[in-house]
Amino acid sequence: MKPRAMIIAVLMALTAVASAWAAGVDRYDAVYASEGSSLRYFYTPTTTDQRVAANTQDGLVEQDRFGRFVPSLAQSWTVSPDGLTWTFKLRPGLMYVDSSGQKTRWEITADDFVEGLRYVSDPKNGIKNFSRDVRNLISGLNAYYLDLSDVDSGKKKDLTRDQALANFANVGISAPDKYTVVYRLSKPTPFFLSYLVMELFLPVEKEFLDTVGLDFGVSKEKLVFSGAYYISDWQRSKRIVLKANPHYWDAGKISVKTITLQYVPDPTTQVAMFQRGELSRADLGADQVKALAKSKWGQYIYSDPPSADRFSVTYWFVQNFTSANPEFKAFVNNLNFRKALYYGIDRVKLNELDDPYKPGQIIRNTVVPEFQIFDEKGVDYTDYPGVKEIKAAGNYYNKAKARDYFKKALAELTDGKGTIKGVSPTTVDYKPIAEVKVDGKLPLQMVYVSLPDAVETKRALLLKAMLEEAFGKENIEVTLGQCIDDVFGEVVEPRRFDLLHDNFRFGYADPAAQLSRLVTGGGVNDGQYSDPEFDKLVQEAMSKTVLSERYAIFAKAEALYLDRCYVLPWAMGGTAYQITKVVPFTYPRGGFGITRFKFKGMVVEKDPITAKRYEQLKAAFYKEMAAAK
Amino acid sequence: MGAYVLKRLGQSLITVAIVVLTVFLLLRLMPKNGYFTREDYVNMDKDARTAYLRNLGVLDDPFTQFGRFLSGLARGDLGRSITVYPRSPVLDVIGEKAPYSLWFGLAALVLSMVLGLGLGILMARYKDRFADGAGTVYVTIVRAIPSLIWLFFIQQWVTALLGWPMVFYEDRPVSWILPTVSLALSGIAWYAIWLRRFMVDEENRDYVKFAVSKGLPWKRVMRGHVLRNALVPLVQYFPQQILLTIAGSLLIESIYSIPGMGGLLVSAIRQQDNPLVQALVLLYSVLGVVGVFLGDLLMVLVDPRIKLAESSGKGAAA
Repeated sequence: MKPRAMIIAVLMALTAVASAWAAGVDRYDAVYASEGSSLRYFYTPTTTDQRVAANTQDGLVEQDRFGRFVPSLAQSWTVSPDGLTWTFKLRPGLMYVDSSGQKTRWEITADDFVEGLRYVSDPKNGIKNFSRDVRNLISGLNAYYLDLSDVDSGKKKDLTRDQALANFANVGISAPDKYTVVYRLSKPTPFFLSYLVMELFLPVEKEFLDTVGLDFGVSKEKLVFSGAYYISDWQRSKRIVLKANPHYWDAGKISVKTITLQYVPDPTTQVAMFQRGELSRADLGADQVKALAKSKWGQYIYSDPPSADRFSVTYWFVQNFTSANPEFKAFVNNLNFRKALYYGIDRVKLNELDDPYKPGQIIRNTVVPEFQIFDEKGVDYTDYPGVKEIKAAGNYYNKAKARDYFKKALAELTDGKGTIKGVSPTTVDYKPIAEVKVDGKLPLQMVYVSLPDAVETKRALLLKAMLEEAFGKENIEVTLGQCIDDVFGEVVEPRRFDLLHDNFRFGYADPAAQLSRLVTGGGVNDGQYSDPEFDKLVQEAMSKTVLSERYAIFAKAEALYLDRCYVLPWAMGGTAYQITKVVPFTYPRGGFGITRFKFKGMVVEKDPITAKRYEQLKAAFYKEMAAAK
Repeated sequence: MGAYVLKRLGQSLITVAIVVLTVFLLLRLMPKNGYFTREDYVNMDKDARTAYLRNLGVLDDPFTQFGRFLSGLARGDLGRSITVYPRSPVLDVIGEKAPYSLWFGLAALVLSMVLGLGLGILMARYKDRFADGAGTVYVTIVRAIPSLIWLFFIQQWVTALLGWPMVFYEDRPVSWILPTVSLALSGIAWYAIWLRRFMVDEENRDYVKFAVSKGLPWKRVMRGHVLRNALVPLVQYFPQQILLTIAGSLLIESIYSIPGMGGLLVSAIRQQDNPLVQALVLLYSVLGVVGVFLGDLLMVLVDPRIKLAESSGKGAAA
């Protein structure tokens, strides 16, 4: 970008933010639909828990409104030349506050980060998100965890629990002085900062923790706060009130002083409350958008997928390569058939169920989401050769191409008279989801499994119609099955599907977060396929520590993976439309950890933001972001 | 009477013990993968999942778990929630939520009784006339239309009309009215229709005709005989209804965002929160059994003809 254009963009953005500040209000009222479980911020199974944790506790770093990793409780950091030692310098003199906003006697020190990691790595504390990725990230952490686990289970008898706990000294985290935290990693990890925005790396004050014991986080009084807000009121299934921390290190950025979140599970009530002025923001479903579009509220409705909580989620269709259905198993292991499916699914049509107005804007063809991972020069990973072309292709749907591939598959898999080679008649038992008789002849029988809610049911019916129309009912017959609510437990693990709609979210800022789990035997390889070439490329990419080299190989691996159609990505998360008084682009964004839930910097106005103004702010924001990179 | 009370108490204890034990054992049959989500399977390897389950205490054999439950119970400790509100003491959770359900439930019950019994009396007194017809229309509407529809109608339209809040706020008494009324609507219909029916039945009995023919004033016959006898079948439910208000209403608490007990048991079962389920089942079964027992006693007080136990081998209960 030219300097002049850059200056203009920055000025425009500053003007927008300044005018927003001027018209701003100091409270934000919203609702939450998923009940929080606890205030123990290391364990955040619901988005409500994550939102509270993100706003009441700070980590070493955070993401700013462009998604960049910037200092938070740490004011600076350095990385050793071998990429294994990360040293963070804390801001001195910062104190925890209690649930009345008063300073406690405890200062935020380096020891608190050591204690935090000690807490999450003790199996007795039941922190489910303490993943094997994290355990393998920090030197000695996995061994420490496994020792403790073995001691607890009685497998290891030559060690007492106290001895095992004492071995935490061997874990790669230390506090050489009051304000210095040092992490020693198992391997060079240039994207380490993206781990540090996870709740697992938050600090905890040891003396306080010892005082409250098991009661840590069971109420607001059993917590101390290091974040921009403290919890001033918390009632289960009712409301959470956050108030600005007057002693916060970055208090100048906090324009909203009181945040009230009410538990209102019904979306209709939420919209009516917004219309009556009781809320600062309401999310809208597709039906509500339709209902309001022609009213006076229509001018305020817009959607901004990249800033939505679920933007980093990719939706895809999973194919069962080890299906118990011999007909589908024969077909799915044929590349031409998979390509037929790939081109036979109209992503725009499917997206209309979630976003009837701009269904094209939420297509995602890649596994790894855009706007999340950047190399050392600020280049988005999804703009690397191989992946870039796939991302840019939009809706892949092409009926003629799909039919061509299907014909090729038929030629390879059948005898030309409708009999599928090597398949004997049998009954496919996917009970209680479905039971299908297969006779080894066309039409190919396949079972598509979905959740039972209204949108998923419509999607299933649409997909069935789409495939049967594209390939002919004489060639393919889709049986629809539904699970209750646990896709993994009811469907994936017992292998009761041929085709399945599923999704997955990213854990940290590296393509490995997803691609390394899609290799043979990988944690997200629900289809149970195997491609040594893909596996090898992923391994090769993971051995590179220069980001651009690493991403180039990952992009090659992902392009190969998508070309061979092992899964069929089709949409991104974050489709929600909204009406809001919050000025867009004033708060942090990012796809990892919890900082995307931060309200820090958020500006709220008296009146709702119009869709027109959103577009203006968006244009200015992206210019500013490009300049910032 | 004393012997009867003792016998019933013994039976009640056995009933509660059977219910608690059955639920306890059924919970242990639930699949362990219910404790993990899709993300958990990706994040946790088998060892980590096993460690997690072990620390929840669900891998111990059922006898050990039951022993732990009983010993906690003896100390007045119902344990800590494991999944719905991890680590929160179960008694704290119930202690926070129960008062909301109790107060809304009791207010609605009083409203239901006052209006429902009043309407029932009017319908019986003016049988086949306007009051009866209007009451029947009300009862039919409340019973025939799915409650979700009129509950949403009340919340969306009545609040808009009156300018009242759509959800419950503890510090705004006006927001307490609609949830209470909504909770009472079906109760009013229930009391009205049953009291009407029992009163009309009583009115047609010979002793009523006899009393009227002997010249007793109609009002006295109605108050002293018809109403009193018609209330007998209803009063036995009063204690149970009062005690079980603590269970709350899933629908109304959800609509009005009331932080009560409604839905807590469902959440606890879905998330396999054994200590929470056990505590709630224990609470509800004790209250249910006590309610039935008190109902029986109340019936005896209202209708002295009813005997709860055989007396000296002579007459049985009337």
